[in-house]
Amino acid sequence: MNAPTRFQSLAVSGLEIRAGDKAIVRNVAFTLAQGMPVTLLGASGSGKSLVAHAIMGSLPAGLCARGEVTLDGTSLLAASLAETRARWGRTIVILPQEPWFALDPTMRIGRQVSEVHHYLHGRGAIEARSHARSDLAEVGLDERAQAYSHELSGGMCQRAAIAITHAAGALLLIADEPTKGLDAALRDSVVKRLRMEVEQGRLLLTITHDIAVATALGGMIGVMLDGELVEFGPAAEILDRPRHDYSRALIAADPSRWPAPQLPPAGEPVVSATGLSKRFGEKALFDGFDISIGRGEIVAIVGPSGCGKTTIGNLLLGLVQSDRGRVELKAGVSPLRFQKLYQDPPAAFAPRQTLRRGFNDLLKLHSLDWRTSEELMARLHLVPALLDRRPDEVSGGELQRFAILRALMLDPVFLFADEATSRLDPVSQKDVIWLLVEIVRERGLGLLLVTHDTALAQRVAAKVVRLER
Amino acid sequence: MSRMILARLLQAGLVVLVVGVLCFVLVRALPGDPAMRIAAGRYGPDANITEAAELVRRELGLNQPVLVQLGASLGQLAKLDLGRSLVTGLPITKELRIQLGATLWLSGATLVLSLVLGPPLGLFAGLSRGGWVDRASLGGAIILRSLPPFVLGLLLILFFAMLLGLFPPAGYGTWRDLALPALTLALSLAAVSSRVTRDAVSAVARTPYIAFARLKGLPEPVVMRRHILRNAAIPVVSYLALQAIYLIEGVVVVETLFGIPGIGHALVHAVIARDVPMVQGTALAMGLLFVVVAAGVDLTCHWLDPRPKRI
Repeated sequence: MNAPTRFQSLAVSGLEIRAGDKAIVRNVAFTLAQGMPVTLLGASGSGKSLVAHAIMGSLPAGLCARGEVTLDGTSLLAASLAETRARWGRTIVILPQEPWFALDPTMRIGRQVSEVHHYLHGRGAIEARSHARSDLAEVGLDERAQAYSHELSGGMCQRAAIAITHAAGALLLIADEPTKGLDAALRDSVVKRLRMEVEQGRLLLTITHDIAVATALGGMIGVMLDGELVEFGPAAEILDRPRHDYSRALIAADPSRWPAPQLPPAGEPVVSATGLSKRFGEKALFDGFDISIGRGEIVAIVGPSGCGKTTIGNLLLGLVQSDRGRVELKAGVSPLRFQKLYQDPPAAFAPRQTLRRGFNDLLKLHSLDWRTSEELMARLHLVPALLDRRPDEVSGGELQRFAILRALMLDPVFLFADEATSRLDPVSQKDVIWLLVEIVRERGLGLLLVTHDTALAQRVAAKVVRLER
Repeated sequence: MSRMILARLLQAGLVVLVVGVLCFVLVRALPGDPAMRIAAGRYGPDANITEAAELVRRELGLNQPVLVQLGASLGQLAKLDLGRSLVTGLPITKELRIQLGATLWLSGATLVLSLVLGPPLGLFAGLSRGGWVDRASLGGAIILRSLPPFVLGLLLILFFAMLLGLFPPAGYGTWRDLALPALTLALSLAAVSSRVTRDAVSAVARTPYIAFARLKGLPEPVVMRRHILRNAAIPVVSYLALQAIYLIEGVVVVETLFGIPGIGHALVHAVIARDVPMVQGTALAMGLLFVVVAAGVDLTCHWLDPRPKRI
C-alpha cells in the first residue's frame, strides 16, 4: 500500500474561515509532519471540523478560508475549484464521520470500492474489482464485498470507508470524528487502525472530542475553543499539564479523571426485575436477567451496541414487553413517576415549537405550577430566556438539561437515562452527568444509566452490569 | 421476488372476482329497466320499444332471479369468457382490442411526454434548490395541477388548434390527433412528477453518502449517474404507479372530450346502455392494467434498490 512518494508535512498558518464579514475560525496555525499525527480536540461548534474542510477545500457554500495551507510547499487554498476537486481522493481524503451514513445504501460495498479504482485510476472493470478485493481484505472485509451498508456493523462500515480511502490512494488522511457513535471496543479498534495508517507513512489529521482517542493517537494535540486554537503541543505535555483553562476543563471532563460521586447507601428497591428474557426474531438478547435499583442508587448497564442494554430499561418502564420474567415497580407509586431520558435530545422534542409551549402543555396536562419549573430550571442552570427558543436553537447540553427538567417535573422515583450523554461533548457530558448525580443525592431517586462508556459507568455507578453481545 | 409475483397474481384473481360482482350489482342498481335500455341501444328508441324490450328480456334471461343471473355471469368469467356485447353482439374481447388499443396509444404517448417534461425539470430544480428553475417550475406545477383536465384540454385546443392551427382539435387515427390529448394529460402528470423528482434529488444530493462520493474523488458526472440518480429514482418510480392511476382516471374525460374511441369512452357508453358484459370487460381490463403497472413498478424498484425487503 506504500506509494513511492510520501508527503513530509502539512503546514497551516494564519488560517481564518469567514461567513460573510464574520470570522468563525481565527488564526489557526499548526504543522503536521510525517510520523507525528495531529489531533484537534474541541466541543461541537468550536470550528474544528471547519478546519478539516478548509484543508480539504470542501467548506459549505457561503464560507471561505484565508491564510496559508501548504502541503510540501504546494499551496492548497490558492487552488482553483477544478484543481481542488482533482486532489480529492488522490492526494487528500476525508474519513467521514458516521460512515454508515456515508456509504451509498443501495450499492454493494465492493462496488463502492472498485468504482474508485475505475474512475480515479482508470483501471478496467476486472482489474478494479481485484484491487477492490485486496483493499477490502486488508481491512478484513473480503467476505463482505457483496453486502450493503445496512448489513454491516458500525465498525465494519468504518473499515469499509478506510478501504475506500486506501483505494483512492491519498497520503494525507483527515479523520473527522472517526469514533462518533462507536462503543469503546470499536473505538479502540478504529484508533489502532489510524495508528497503522501513520506507520504506513500517511499524514494523519484527526478531529475528535474524545480525549481517549487523542491520548491513544499520541503525536500532537491542538485544543480548539470558539474558532481559535487555544493550545497546541505534544500530546503527553498537553494531557498532563494543560495551560489554558478550557484545555484543563476539557481534559478534566474525561470520565477517568472524574472524582467519585460519594452517594449514601441505597434504600429499598424502586424497580426490580427477575428472570427477564427477550428475543428479537432469532436473536436472544438475554435470558434470566435480574436487576434491582434502589432509592438513591445509580446502576449502570454497559456493553457493545446491539447487546440489548436499552431494551432492559424499556422493559423496566413497560415500554417493551418481556418474553418471560416479571418487573416489580414500587407499590402505590403512579406510573408517571418512572421516567426516561432519551439518547438524542433533538429527537425527543417537537422540532417546530418553542420549548415554552411544550412545557406549558405539560404543566396544564398534569396541573402543575410554573413556580416548580422555575425553581428546577435554576437548579439545572437553565436561564428562562431559553424557553422561547426552538429545540434546534439551544445547544445539545442545554436541550438534554431541558429533558431532565421535563422528567423531574413529574417528581420521578426512577429515571432511566438511555445513552443520555453520548451525543454531547465531554464538558457538557460531565455537566449533565454531575447534575444527575446531585439530583439522585438530593431527591433519592433511583437512576439507571445505560452507556457504552465503561469508564463513565465505573466512575459514577454503585453497581455496573456488563452485557455481552 | 417470486413471493411478490405470487402476491400480484392473487391480486389479479381478486380483481376479477370483485369487479365481476360489483359491475353486475351496480348496473342492476341503476334506475330504469335494463331491457328497455338495451333495446334502445340496439334498435334505437322507436314506437315498438316495449315489444323489443320484452324480446330482449327473454333472450338475455333478465326475467330470471337476480342471483341466478349473477351466478351465470360469474360462471362465464370463471371460464375466462367475457361474452358478447348486449348491444352490438360482437365478442367483448374484440371490442376491447379496439378500445384498449386506443387507450394504450394515448396513455403511452402521455407517459412518454410526461417523462420527458417532468423528471428532467425536477432534476434541474432539485440540484439548484431555491434557484429560478426551482421557483418557476413550482409556480408552473401549481397552475397546471390546479386546472381540471378538461379546462387544460380546452385551453390547449384554443391555442394549438384554433389559434395556431398546428394540431386538429379532435379525432383519432394519426399521431397529430394524439398530440393535444396526450399533452393535456402529460402536463398535469409532469407538474407533479417534476416536484416529486425535485424533492427526491435535493434530499439525496445533501446526504453524507453523496458528500463522501465526491470527497473520495469521483468526478461529478459519475456521482450524478451512479449515486444521485439511482437513489433519487426510488421514490419517483413508486410515484409513477400513482400517476398511472391518475392517467386512467383522466383518460375517461379526455377521450370523451377529444372523441377518441378508447376504453374510458367505452365504459361511459356501456354504463349508459346497461351493457353488463361490456362494463365488466372494460372495468376488468382497467383493473388488471393497474395490477400489471404495479407489478412493473415493483420490479423496477427492486432493480433500483436491490436491498432485501423486510416484509
